[in-house]
Order: sequence, then structure tokens, then C-alpha cells
Amino acid sequence: MSKYAMVIDMDRCIACHACEVACRSHYDVPVPYYRNWVHDLRPEGVYPDIKKVSYVGLCNHCDDAPCVKACPTGATYKRKDGVVVVDKDLCIGCGLCIEACPYGARYIDPVKEKVDKCDFCIDRVEQGVEPACVATCIASARIFGDIDDPNSKVSQLIANGAQPNVSSKVNVGPNIYYLDSHNHFPVVQAAFPPKVPNMPTPQKMWTKVLRPLFWLAIGGSFLGQLAAFSTQLFKGESDIKE
Amino acid sequence: MENKNIKLNDDIVLDHDLLKGPRHLSFDEKRILATRVMKKHGVGGVTLHWVNAISWFLLIFTGTALLSASYLQFAPAWYINMMDGIFGTRGAMLHFHIAVGVFWVTTLLLYGIFGYKNYLLDFVKHDLTIDKDDIRWFPAKAKNLAGKLNHYEMPPQGTYNAGQKAYAVVVAFSTLTLMITGPIMAFHIGSTTIIQWSMMLHFVATMSVFAGVFVHVYMAALFPEERPAFFSMITGKVNELYAYLHHYKWWTEIKNEEHAFFAEELKKDGIDLPALHDCKNIANHQVNSKVYDMNGDEL
Ligand code: HEM
Ligand code: SF4
Ligand code: SF4
Repeated sequence: MSKYAMVIDMDRCIACHACEVACRSHYDVPVPYYRNWVHDLRPEGVYPDIKKVSYVGLCNHCDDAPCVKACPTGATYKRKDGVVVVDKDLCIGCGLCIEACPYGARYIDPVKEKVDKCDFCIDRVEQGVEPACVATCIASARIFGDIDDPNSKVSQLIANGAQPNVSSKVNVGPNIYYLDSHNHFPVVQAAFPPKVPNMPTPQKMWTKVLRPLFWLAIGGSFLGQLAAFSTQLFKGESDIKE
Repeated sequence: MENKNIKLNDDIVLDHDLLKGPRHLSFDEKRILATRVMKKHGVGGVTLHWVNAISWFLLIFTGTALLSASYLQFAPAWYINMMDGIFGTRGAMLHFHIAVGVFWVTTLLLYGIFGYKNYLLDFVKHDLTIDKDDIRWFPAKAKNLAGKLNHYEMPPQGTYNAGQKAYAVVVAFSTLTLMITGPIMAFHIGSTTIIQWSMMLHFVATMSVFAGVFVHVYMAALFPEERPAFFSMITGKVNELYAYLHHYKWWTEIKNEEHAFFAEELKKDGIDLPALHDCKNIANHQVNSKVYDMNGDEL
């Protein structure tokens, strides 16, 4: 079985945004949303010692994906090959997955009113073609492959020190790795730390208070009626006319 | 009725004291009351009830299986797996749930719009309004179930007793909530915040009705004392003994209406019928030896 992952080589990336554009046109992603993005950070430092960092991001196809757990209908799920996808048929556009995602990888398509995000171009990959962003990248800064195969390029780059964007608070097993030899990655991590998955108030109320209450009420009324019916069977029925 | 030759038959032992308050009945009175029937539900009401009940069961069976994220999940995992097996895919189950929901909402809207005057308004105003007797009914029913209070000592009840009214009110509010929140989720109406709140309200409304349905079904279909009510949801009719004992206020109301109806009919023939309380008996009203109820339907 393969397990897909991507390595972003920050040393090679020239922040041309071609991958972002390729993705946008391939999937008709409306502005201001992204399935795949290049966020340019403001240059840091004083000339001639300037650092210009860009955050290349996309869905991390997390191993312990908070979006999968948050989805009430099972529309969002993780495939066996590790790709986290959305079954558009089941999505009700509730946005709970958006609240849960630590990387801001999801948006509601304003036309379809359903959620959308990167799916590693799984339709292309299954046909043996690379994802659109990878195929487009002029600097070969994006490397896509199978990390279950120790000889794959991605496996080797990870062995060479490519790291995922995790923090001491949030580590949900992301599968996008960043290769960096100029200390650019810490800047990205400081600017875009993974956020703690959020659960909106109504869902909290349901989970913490209402669901246990209804379990009691429904269980109680079922058992109560069962008891009444058993007594009735046991005693036999009295004539209504007395 | 072409023939206005209406006569009150006087071999009836039911005296008008019965109308003054529920009291112990003699054997003869019970026998007579038990053999006579009154109309409780119209065809519209019976149809609506069963369409509504079947829709609810289908919606609860599929809805609880659709709710599968572990932090929201209500039904046990084996149940969800079983339902997944029956429908094949989640998508099929969701589409079925939405289709039944749309059918259900449409039925209720048709009932609400076309039956507004004849059914809905009457049901809400006449059958569901709560009075003092209804409030006294709850503690009395508890005693009655404990065997400490008999029917004659219970606060007299209207078309529906206070427990039924309370359930009907819960069902009515939940139904309204579901009619709004269902389409919001199914057709992705409004912002994600609106959909998230709708989701929670959808569960709460459903579970409130679900919590009462065991009592409702047990009381209606299994509990021997209420068995006439069960058949009334099929035939539309109940016997008068049951009506007298369980829905005394409704029974007197019907008696008064019947009397007024016949007084009017007889007046056309120049016969003056005394006021009900001055009549010797609460009689069947017969026309050429056929018995009619207050709607002019043959019994
Ligand atoms: C097998 C299932 C059911 C049975 C046997 C049943 C039976 C009955 C009967 C016999 C009545 C008439 C009571 C009377 O005239 O005194 C009634 C009324 C009613 N039913 Fe049902 N029912 C069922 C399911 C449901 C469900 C699922 C709902 C709601 C979602 C429901 C809602 C109502 C309401 C609102 C009334 C009006 C009065 C009241 O609240 O009791 N029923 N039902
Ligand atoms: S990055 Fe976000 S959308 Fe992608 S798998 Fe992780 S939690 Fe889900
Ligand atoms: S928006 Fe769609 S994919 Fe996201 S949690 Fe809701 S139903 Fe699931």
C-alpha cells in the first residue's frame, strides 16, 4: 500500500505562485480561497542581510485528521492511501471541518455550497500523472511520492531532515514536509503555527450537555414503558368495563 | 336528511345528571354507553397522523444512523453499521432521509394551508389549549397509575388529556423547528454558523419527540384502558363509555352540540325540544329508527 506525502523544498522555491495558479485554474477555485497557496511574508532584516520567506501550503492529509473527526456526516474521510478527501454527495456545508483544521486548508465553495480542499489531485495520481502543482513547479520545489516506499524521493528527503509543520501543542500527523537550509522554516512556523482544532458552541452544547440529557430521557422513558408493559403482561389485563 | 320525522327514543336510562359531573355509572348506563359511538377523528386527521408517524419512524431510523461522528453520534455503532449495510452507501441513506423529509414537510404544509380553517385552527384552539383541569391532571394521573385514584375522581378532560396535550405541544414545536432546520442543512442555506446551530436544534427537536414516543405508543397501542383511542385513530370513532370516563368535558360538549342540532332540526317541523338540562333523558336521536350523530352521519 502506498501512502502519499509531499516535500516542499524551500531552498528551491522562488515564490512565483505558479503552483497556486495551476491549482486555481485546474479546480476553478474562486478568489479569495485556496486549495494550495503561497503566502509571501514581509521581508525581514536590513540590507544586505535580508530574508524573504514564503509559506507554501496545502492540506496536510493529516494522519490523525481533526477534520475527519469533526465531519458529522462522514463526508470527509481518509483513504487507505492516506489522502483525505471530501465526498461532495454527503457534504452539507456545515463548516465544522473548517473550524477543526489546524492549517486553514478548507473553504466552502460559494457556488456549490460544499466544502473543498486539496485532494493531492488524486484523479491525476491514479492515472499516473503528478499533481498539478508539482507538474507546474519550474524549480522542482515540490516533490510528491510514496513514503511507504523507503527508496522514493520523498522518503529520502524526509530522512535528510525535511520536517512537518507541528508545534508542541498541535501535532496531528501532517504529511507535508519542509526542506530548508536557510532557517526559513522557523519563520513560517512562527507566522503560521498550526491552530488548535475548534468546536463551535452549538456542537459543544450538544456533546457536553444535551446528548447525555437525551440519553437519560430516552433510555428512561423506554425502560419505564418496558416495565409498565411487562407488569401488564404479568398481571393480565383488567376489563375496561370494570 | 329528507325526512324530518325525528323522535327521541325514551327507553334510554341515561339521565341528564350525567352532564353535571362524572359519577359512578350503573351497570345499565355502562352497557348503553359502551354500545354507542362518537366521532373523534376525521379522515383528514387520521390520514395526517399515520403519514406523519410513518415519516417520523423512517426519518428517525435513518437520521440516527447518519449522525456518525463519534462526538455527535447518538445510536450505537452496530446500529449505524447495520443501516449502512441496508442502504449500501451513506449518500443513498442521506438522499433517502432528505426525500422523506421533503415529502413530510410538503404534507404538513398542505395540511396547514388547505386545512388551516377546518383542521389546524380547530386542533390548536380547541384541542391543545391548556386549562386548570389540565394542570391538576398530572398529579392526579400519578395517583391513578399508583391505583389510588379512580376515573371518576380524575379532573375531567377535553378531547385530549393533559398528557396528550403536552406531547402534542412538544411535537408541534419540534415539527416547526425541523421544518426549518432540515431544509437549511439539506440545501446549505445560510452561513456555516447558521448550519451549525440548525444541526444542534435539529437533534434537540428530534430527541424531544423521540423521548416521548415510547410513552405515546405504549399508551396508545398497548395500554388496555386507552385501547379505544387506538382504534379511534383507525376508524375515527370511540365508544361513549370511554369518552365519558376519559374525556368527560369533550363528551358533554358533543352531547350539547347534538342536542342543539336536533333542537334546530325539530324546530323546522314546529316541534320545540326542551333545553338539554330539562330533558328527561340524554337520548339517541333517531330518524325513522336510524341513529345519527351530530354531523348527520349514520351511526
Ligand atoms: C406506532 C406508532 C403510533 C401509534 C400507535 C400512535 C397512536 C396514536 C393514537 C391512538 C392517537 C389518538 C389519541 C386519542 O385520540 O386519544 C394519537 C394521537 C397523536 N399522535 Fe400518535 N401514534 C404513533 C406514532 C406517533 C408519532 C411518531 C408521532 C409524532 C411524531 C405521533 C404524534 C401524535 C400526536 C401529536 C397526536 C395528537 C394527540 C396526542 O398528542 O396524543 N404519533 N396517536
Ligand atoms: S490539513 Fe486540515 S483539511 Fe487537511 S487533513 Fe489536516 S485537518 Fe484535514
Ligand atoms: S462542511 Fe462538509 S466536509 Fe466539512 S464537516 Fe461539514 S459536512 Fe463534513
